[in-house]
Amino acid sequence: MKKYYIIARNTWDEAFTYRASFVMWRVRNTIQLLTIYFLWLVVLPPGKNILGYSQSFMLTYILGTSLMDSIVLSSRTYIIGEEINSGNLMNFLLKPVNYFLYWFSKDIGDKAMNICFSIFELTLIFIILKPPIFIQTNFFYLLFFIFSIISSLFLYFFINFLLGLIGFWSPEVWAPRFIFITLLGFFAGSLFPLDILPSFIFSILKFLPFTYLLYFPLKIYLGQLSFPEIFSGLIMANFWVFITYFTVKYFWQRGLRSYTAYGR
Amino acid sequence: MSVISISHLSRYYQVHQKEPGMIGSLKSLFVRKYENVKAVDDISFEINEGELVGFIGPNGAGKTTTLKCLSGLLYPTKGEISVLGFDPYQRNPKLLRQIALVMGQKNQLWWDLPAVDTFILNKEIYGISDEKYNTVLRDLSSLLEVKEILKVPVKKLSLGQRMKLELMASIIHSPKVLFLDEPTIGLDVLMQKKLREFIKEYNIRFKATIILTSHYMQDVEELCKRVIVINFGKIIFDGLLSSLVEKYAPYKKIKVLFRKYADPKKIDKLGTIDSFVFPELTLNVPNKKVNSIASVILRNFEVEDLTIEEQQVEDVIAQVYTREGK
Repeated sequence: MKKYYIIARNTWDEAFTYRASFVMWRVRNTIQLLTIYFLWLVVLPPGKNILGYSQSFMLTYILGTSLMDSIVLSSRTYIIGEEINSGNLMNFLLKPVNYFLYWFSKDIGDKAMNICFSIFELTLIFIILKPPIFIQTNFFYLLFFIFSIISSLFLYFFINFLLGLIGFWSPEVWAPRFIFITLLGFFAGSLFPLDILPSFIFSILKFLPFTYLLYFPLKIYLGQLSFPEIFSGLIMANFWVFITYFTVKYFWQRGLRSYTAYGR
Repeated sequence: MSVISISHLSRYYQVHQKEPGMIGSLKSLFVRKYENVKAVDDISFEINEGELVGFIGPNGAGKTTTLKCLSGLLYPTKGEISVLGFDPYQRNPKLLRQIALVMGQKNQLWWDLPAVDTFILNKEIYGISDEKYNTVLRDLSSLLEVKEILKVPVKKLSLGQRMKLELMASIIHSPKVLFLDEPTIGLDVLMQKKLREFIKEYNIRFKATIILTSHYMQDVEELCKRVIVINFGKIIFDGLLSSLVEKYAPYKKIKVLFRKYADPKKIDKLGTIDSFVFPELTLNVPNKKVNSIASVILRNFEVEDLTIEEQQVEDVIAQVYTREGK
């Protein structure tokens, strides 16, 4: 297992080599966050409610998406497609190393770094802006919050891995990924909580995997879901984890068969 | 005991052809002609433990494809492969710990980190003990003269330096079976020589089985007793390098420097003239007749100097490629 620890550590080290670009990227994140934050601050003055969201809940949701971004929606797996196409995949196939675990370790290293900085930024925002944050104190909600984060972490990992595997059949790995990112921005609920959408749209979204990446965990944190809703949500999320896992496995095997290891 | 055995291996690629220009591009959006390219076409051979075999052929002959099949990267279209008793495509960790594929142009070093970070990772991946790792690292880095650059980020190094470190990263687990694909490409003459010595020693010291491909005939000449020649995906020769030379180079060259005018008509009778510009004559003579013809020349003409030259292996190989290509 030590090998996977070293992979994670190397990824961490690597991120630090481009300090300027890393800092710029975090700055961009913060500005993006602040934009949505101030938008909602204006739209929702204290004491007012929009579609069941008070100012404090909405702002907690928005700041929460930022933290979730670094925990769940950070992944390096987009490189997989390039590695397949450039022939770099060979390096891994030649070694007694599990390619899935390799990428998972890399993601852990990446996430660790992102979480550290994200917490730092959020603390700054907290100190400077003193937003009216809702703090969940119910132990069960927090516990299920963590469970749901773990599912969404795997779900996001497998979906991204799957998108990378397109590289086995086509060098155009970016187009599908852009579509995915666009869908994600909307359907995962990183701009607004999904339940402010018309109810029939929202009931369809519940069956898609995107919902479980950001919206669902945050809703648990806010304590706005009943226990039956939490359970059925967790089942749905894990259903998608399994589906994507087996799809990834299937296409990985198929892809290797048609792999030509060209270039290099 | 045969360490590597290949029987009736074939590997086809599907490629689509595109006509040149805009119209060609548009056409290829809708209709694509696919063609099966037989990169490797029904080849078989066996290699025993401790053998160092040269695997040669012109560009695109199927060498690298074969090596990729042997190291489990490619799924064979047809045929059976066994390396150390394993089917390489199954990528059993027990096998992977014992083999290495070294390619002249392959990047496994982490670009932004020093090479030693990649080595440490490989040490863990292959499960090498600290003690063994330190010995191997010391040996390899002094041999390849890279001690000073181990801790420099890879992106700051020159091509040659990176090549050496790539090689180190590939063999840090002391593999029993080594597939070397153009290992000397991009290295300077001195380094090429060192690397050859290293391969030779590695072969003897670890009883390692090695397959080597190279376009530098010197690599093959110095290292390999046995060569397998492949062209158009088929094996056209498998045997000792010396018998390849005998088979394909039945001629030697006699070079003569005349002291006095020699009658061309008389010379004609001696053998095939390669070139004759007085006072220099070059003759192609069948191996068996070399001695008698040389003595005829010495007796009948006034000769300043006479030398007998073997054909260069390089030329022989070139002949093999062109002859079998037709």
